[in-house]
Order: sequence, then structure tokens, then C-alpha cells
Amino acid sequence: MMTCKLQLGGAFAFARSNHSVSIERSSLMVATDHQNKTNNNLLPSELAMATTCVPTIKPSLEKELRTTHPQETNNDIINSGKFGRFGGKFVPETLMVCLSQLEAEFNKAIHDETFKAELAEALRDFAGRETPLYYARRLSEHYKINNNGKGPDIYLKREDLNHGGSHKINNALAQAMIAKRMGRNTVVTATASGQHGIATAAACAKLGLDCTVFMALKEMEKECSNVKLMKLLGATVEGVNGSYKDAASEAFRSWVGDMEKSYHLSGSAVGPHPCPTMVREFQSVIGRETRKQALEKWGGKPDVLIACVGTGSNALGLFHEYLHDMDVRLIGVEAAGCGLDTGRHSSTLAAGDVGVYHGALTYLLQDQDGQILPPHSIAAGMEYPGVSPELSYLKESGRAEFSVATDQEALDAYERLCKLEGIFPSLEAAHALAILDNLVPTLSDGSKVIVNCSGCGDKDAALVFDRNLFHGKF
Amino acid sequence: MHRLFLNVFVIVIVAASASRSVFACLFHIHNFSSLSHLSPTSHLRSASPLLCCFYLGSPGSNLYCLYPGRIHFSPLHLEDYILQKFNVLSHRTSPHLHVVVSLVGLSADKKSEQPTLFSNGEPEYRFGPFSATRLARYVPETLIHALTELEAAFHSLASDEDFQRELSGILRDYVGRESPLYFAERLTEHYRRGNGEGPQVYLKREDLNHTGPHKINNAVSQALLAKRLGKKRVIAETGAGQHGVPTATVCARFGLQCVVYMGAQDMERQALNVFRMRLLGAEVREVHSGTATLKDATSEAIRDWVTNVETTHYILGSVAGPHPYPMIVREFHAVIGKETRKQALEKWGGKPDVLMACVGGGSNAMGLFDEFVDDNDARLIGVEAAGFGLESGKHAATLTKGEVGVLHGAMSYLLQDDDGQIIEPHSISAGLDYPGVGPEHSFLKDVGRAEYYSVTDEDALEEPSRDYHGWKE
Repeated sequence: MMTCKLQLGGAFAFARSNHSVSIERSSLMVATDHQNKTNNNLLPSELAMATTCVPTIKPSLEKELRTTHPQETNNDIINSGKFGRFGGKFVPETLMVCLSQLEAEFNKAIHDETFKAELAEALRDFAGRETPLYYARRLSEHYKINNNGKGPDIYLKREDLNHGGSHKINNALAQAMIAKRMGRNTVVTATASGQHGIATAAACAKLGLDCTVFMALKEMEKECSNVKLMKLLGATVEGVNGSYKDAASEAFRSWVGDMEKSYHLSGSAVGPHPCPTMVREFQSVIGRETRKQALEKWGGKPDVLIACVGTGSNALGLFHEYLHDMDVRLIGVEAAGCGLDTGRHSSTLAAGDVGVYHGALTYLLQDQDGQILPPHSIAAGMEYPGVSPELSYLKESGRAEFSVATDQEALDAYERLCKLEGIFPSLEAAHALAILDNLVPTLSDGSKVIVNCSGCGDKDAALVFDRNLFHGKF
Repeated sequence: MHRLFLNVFVIVIVAASASRSVFACLFHIHNFSSLSHLSPTSHLRSASPLLCCFYLGSPGSNLYCLYPGRIHFSPLHLEDYILQKFNVLSHRTSPHLHVVVSLVGLSADKKSEQPTLFSNGEPEYRFGPFSATRLARYVPETLIHALTELEAAFHSLASDEDFQRELSGILRDYVGRESPLYFAERLTEHYRRGNGEGPQVYLKREDLNHTGPHKINNAVSQALLAKRLGKKRVIAETGAGQHGVPTATVCARFGLQCVVYMGAQDMERQALNVFRMRLLGAEVREVHSGTATLKDATSEAIRDWVTNVETTHYILGSVAGPHPYPMIVREFHAVIGKETRKQALEKWGGKPDVLMACVGGGSNAMGLFDEFVDDNDARLIGVEAAGFGLESGKHAATLTKGEVGVLHGAMSYLLQDDDGQIIEPHSISAGLDYPGVGPEHSFLKDVGRAEYYSVTDEDALEEPSRDYHGWKE
């Protein structure tokens, strides 16, 4: 047993071994079993079958599930929420029942044809899917010119064209529909840059649910247009002192206070199980479309997939489809802020340590005493001291690579895409574009690179304008 | 050769521009033999009676003639004929003779044509007195050649497979078409009447296009057209940046040099959009003349075009301006209506009963209406901006309160005072702030095919209420 640094007070403990299942609950001690080395190479789906799961679902619900879906063999979804050693459910006792109910409802919905049809229609007509896979000719040529006309073909997955301006709507819409199915009438959530808040407020307006969004006060000032949009969509926006992590904690607290009627809509692939899995499932529509479109466009698969990583929702959405395609390289790009050595960054996977945060075991930015270090990035959506447990696992197993880009590199990439393709990427997505400079020379001629343009940069134009970060160029 | 049946009444109404007095003379042609040298063309199937409108006169005068009758001639031939006939008259009325031919009801056979992104074949002059042929563009002489060239290029592209394919690829992958037709369930319920009846409200989601407004459809198509013409430089005018930003966007995409003219007052109000245009690599030039707003920016852009017409293409943002712009912009936006027809068939197996759109210059409305103009069971409703109210004088309700005149190269309704000076429009919505309107809208209003209403700033901002003010049931 290994004791890991405690980040959330009042957590419970469970002991696991490969041969027996036992549940010990203690309000003070936190302990986790370190997985055998042999299991580290297995992917989540295989892992779920290899390990004996802790029955986190109430027996009656579990029985109900097994009788309604006897054919179900996809243990991907009905698992304990562990990705290797990462993930889990480090939450107070009061939340355990809620999470179990949520997981059961999620599993039911996923296998319900009516729900799937309704969701597909809403994604098509309301959110505007499917989003195009766009060949960025001038961007590709920009790199080829310096290399005798040779270089990769760069494609952009245009998640910026979604309603709300980012990929967040995929998840917000689906979860709001689940909240409605569960009979909840209020939705609470936390948002960093406001993109997830807008998506949630829009989905709630469409479905007739009340919506409360928690947002850090300093973000509210920075992204005041997003705040206005949320209010116009009918949501209540509550300011929280601190940063996104404090807003997220506040959202959790608010949910615990009113669990019967409210629904906590997590926007990112972090948090206790089943949140990371749910968010990843709903975002994986990005990857599924990409596979289809890649086949249509060049009759094959991409060679490299690049996505920015704040918490990891858009990255997982793109990567998940290709997890088993070992010839597809998966690259996640984190925010190096002012530089990794300055201490002002958000590069959790590059410079973080393993610990428990917001209910899951994952990499996070912490000091020697296990206190959370405040992250920094010019892009609000990248400013999170943790990361999705599934991405932590992909890093440790070596399936995905992770790189970083500084604020300035992101700004340069933002400007470059504007000038060459007439597309404003969000500052978050600009991080993914920033690594092309170093990556492209290493790639072979004609290889296919897909970058997830996860958000629209119109919201960032004001930020850049106000900060005058282009040093009087304009 | 079958007899050409021509039974024509020509009513010539002449109005001198100074006094605005009107007198009419009737001119009845029933002598076919003098017309035998004119040959019929197969383009016109005149199974239905055609309404021809001739306009004779110089800018500023209200001279036009109504010409109802069956016709088998191509409009250009007939125009030449009328020119000959009216030659004497023309010298007496004005030094410039502008003849406008408009044929309504031609497009009955449009449906049998191959679906392309814009119309094939004979140019359609559908705007009644508000249109212009090659003779009647209200622009300086230096631009006539460019306009003719543009028109010819546009028509040749209708049958160019490569162009069509490239354009539809760009609209799909870059702009993000097709935009969904979304059933607004809660809005529909909101408007349901007490007995449970009510219309079903759908939204055509042009807001989901790249850059936001529908303007990108036209900008991207015209940029591709400019490239085909070999032009390396593009100019545009913009009020709030609604047209400027998509233009700068497509110029970045195609690697064209871009100059956007914007009124100095607008630049202050929309500093962020100015920044976005500059970020995209466009040059934004301030215009200080006049009231330093959209109409002055348009005039400045036209001036630039006159000077640089060899190297420059002018991307006009709306269905206004000299021919062929109203036609081109309408055709490039017509994809909206075409998609809507297809989606309506898929969704409920029929056609829409009512189509509604806001009208500033009129491009998005024309884009939606064009497909359904010939479907007489589809009501077309345009909504303009009433600003602070129609009586306040601070509004942009051109079709409701305006009068016919010539602005920016086209004859249309516009907001003008007694001296013919343009009145500054107002609307809380920057995109509706244009003192003119597309000539085709003026025509649709006059023939009664479309209805036009207006909404004040306050009503536009309010939450939806159940009170209908002055709507016809």
C-alpha cells in the first residue's frame, strides 16, 4: 500500500488487491494500491477486464443493469474508473451515492437508442455538427517552402465552428440531456474561460433547465463578454475568489448541498469517476468524425494528432478513437506560460507529480507539502493545476507524447493562423499549433497531421488587444 | 416560323427631375412587320404573360414605362428596338438614355435546370424599374468595362465544373456549410396560442458559419471569382465590420491583398473589429468625408475602384450597388435558400409557409427568398430596423419610409430628404444601418411578392412577448 499526498480533506480509502475485493472506508486515511508493473502496458479496456473491480455501483442498480443489458460486453464504460493506477473516486461519503446513480444513468443513456438519436439530432441541428476537417493549404505551404516543397499536410478539425465557439457543447448538451432524464431541474457547473459556461447555459436554455455557473472573479473581468453571454442565456453567474480550481471546488460544494434537485455538469475530463469517462465518451464524437473524414479525404488514417491539453477534454475526444491504432502518434500540448523554469506555467504532465485532486488520482502541480501550486497561462482554459487521469495514464504507458508551448509561442501561432488561413484559433488551440514549428521538420513528406482547432479565438481578440501584446504592431 | 404575337401597351411616364411633374402618353404597338427583323430566342418561354418594365431617364428623374404583354424576344433585342423607337424622345428628355428591361415570370422553367451554385444561362433581370442593363449602371464610365467583365466572368463560371467543385469544397470545409435547419422547440411553444395551435418555428443557423454572419458565403465566392479574374487586390467597405472581417478572412485564406474602407466614426465604435481585420493582414483605411459612416466608406471604396480597376476587385457586401452586383451577391447567397428547401423536404416533407429575414442591405434575405420567389404559397417577410421609431426620423426602415432614388450605382428605395440628400440611418444593430436597400427588394415590395415590416430597437432587444402588433393573420 502506498500513501499518496492528500489533496481533498475527508476522503475515503479503499484497498485493492489482484485477488480479493474488500472495501474499507475511513474518513482520514488515504491509501491506494500500487498496480503491478505488468499491468501498466495494458490499455484501459483490457485493464478493466484484468482487474477485479470494486463494486462502486449499488447492488440493486448493478443487477438492473446486468438484466437490461445482458449482451453488454464493452467493459470500457462500466468500469471502476481507473486508468492504470490513475482515476478513481476520492470523494466524501455523501457524494458516493450520487456518483453511483450518475454512473448508472450514464450507462443506461449510452445504450438507449432514443437518447442516442435525440443527442445526434441536437448535435446536428443545434450545435452544428459535423464539423469540417479542413486542409490548411497555406499553413502547410508555409512550412514546405523552407524545405524544398516537402513537408506534412496539415489539417484542422474545426471544432471552433460549433455553436458556442468550442468543443465544449458536445459534452454540455449530452450531460444536460442526462440531467433532464434524471428529473433534475438545476444544473451547476464551473468554468475557466467561460466557454464551458456558455455551452452549458445554451444547453440549459434549450432544455428548459436552470443554470448556475461558478467563475473566478479575475476571469470574469478578463472574459466579460463571455459573462454577458451567459447571463443573456439565462444563467446565474457566481463569482468566486481565486482561480478556476476554486470555482470548481465551489461548484462541487454547491452540488453537495442540493443533490436531489441539482446536477453537477463537469466540463472537463477530470474529477471522480464517472466524470472523466462521461466527458471523454461525449467528446469522442470528434475522433469518430475525424476517422470518417480522413477516410473520405485521403483514404487512410492520420499520422499525427495534435491537441492542446488544459484538462484534456478536447484531446481525449480526438485521441480516443485512435487509441488502438498504434501507427497514429498522439501529441498533447500543455501551457508553459512564462516558461517551465519560471514556475509560472500549467504544464502538469511535464512538471507535475502524482496526487489526488478533485476526486481523482492524477498528475498535478503541487509543492513539497502537497499544496496546490497556482497555475498560469495566457489561455484561461489551460490554467488548471491537474489533468485528466486518462491522459496521465496515456503518458505513463507511453501511448501519447506531451509537449509544451509558452505564452509567446501561442500568441505567434495565433497570429500565424490568422494571416495564413483567416481563422482565429482560441489561445488554447493556438498552443497546439505552436509546436508545429519544431515538429514539422521531423515529419516525412506527405504525412497527415491533424490539429484540433478546439475553439474560436474571437473571445481572445479583446484580451490580446487590451494587453497590447503585439507591441504596437497594430 | 410561327407568328410572333405581340400585343403591347407601352405607357411612358415622363417626369422631369426638377419639377417632378408627371405626364403620360400611351403608345400602342400592334404592327408586327416592323418587328420581323428581330428573331425569337428559345430562352423565353412565354406561356405566362410577361411584364416588362422599361426605364428611360437619367439618374434622379422618375421616368419609366410599363410594358405588359406577351413577348418572344430576348430582352436585349427588344431594348434595341425601343431605343430606336424612342430615339427622338430621348434627346428631348435627357442626354443620357438608360433603358431597363425587366421580365418577370421567366424563371418558371428554372426548376428544370441542373442545380448549380448559381443560375445558368440568360441573365435574369428581375428587378422591374429598379434594375439596370449594361447601359444603365449608375456609375462613372471607367467602371463600365469592369462591370461588364465581371458579369461575363460570373456567367462563364456557372458552367465551370472546376469552379463549382472548388467553391462547394470551400463552403463545406472552410465555412462549415451546410448550416442546420433547427427546430426551435421552446420558441414554438412560447408562441403557441391558448387552443394549442400555432406555427412551428425553425431557425436557419447561418450564425454557425465561420466568422459568424452569413456574409462569408458571398465573400468567399467573390474572392474565388477575383482569383479567377487574376486580380491580386481586393477592396471592401464595412460599417461595423460585419462585412469587413469576412472579407479580410477570405483574403488571408487566398493570399490576396486586402484594403477595407471604414468610416472614422465606425472605427471608434468598433475598435475590436478593426483590430481583428488588421490581425488578419488587411489594411483598414479611415474615411473622414461626409458623416464618416458606412455610406461614405462605400463611396470611398467605389472611388478606389475607379482608380485601380485593372488590379482590384471590389467585394460588395450586399445585394445593392450597380449591376451585376445585386445579381452576383444574391446568387452567392442563394445557397441558403437551396439548402433550406432540401432540409424542409427532409424534415417535414414539404415547403415552408413563411420565410422571414432581417433586411439591411438585403443580402441574407435575398439568399433565403430567392429559392422560393416562384413558390407563391410561400410568404416572404422582410424586417427592417425602425430604430427609435418610424416617426422619430432615426431609423433605417428604407422600404417603409424611403423613396426611390439612385445610390451607389443602383436605383432603389432609399432614405432621402426633399433635396435628395441621404438621411443618416440609425439602428442599434450595426448591420441594418444602411440608408438604401437592394433593388430586388424594392421590386419585390412593389409587385407585392414580399412584405416588409419594421421593428424598433427596443422590441428587438425585448424578451419574446405574445402580443402581435399589426400582423396580418
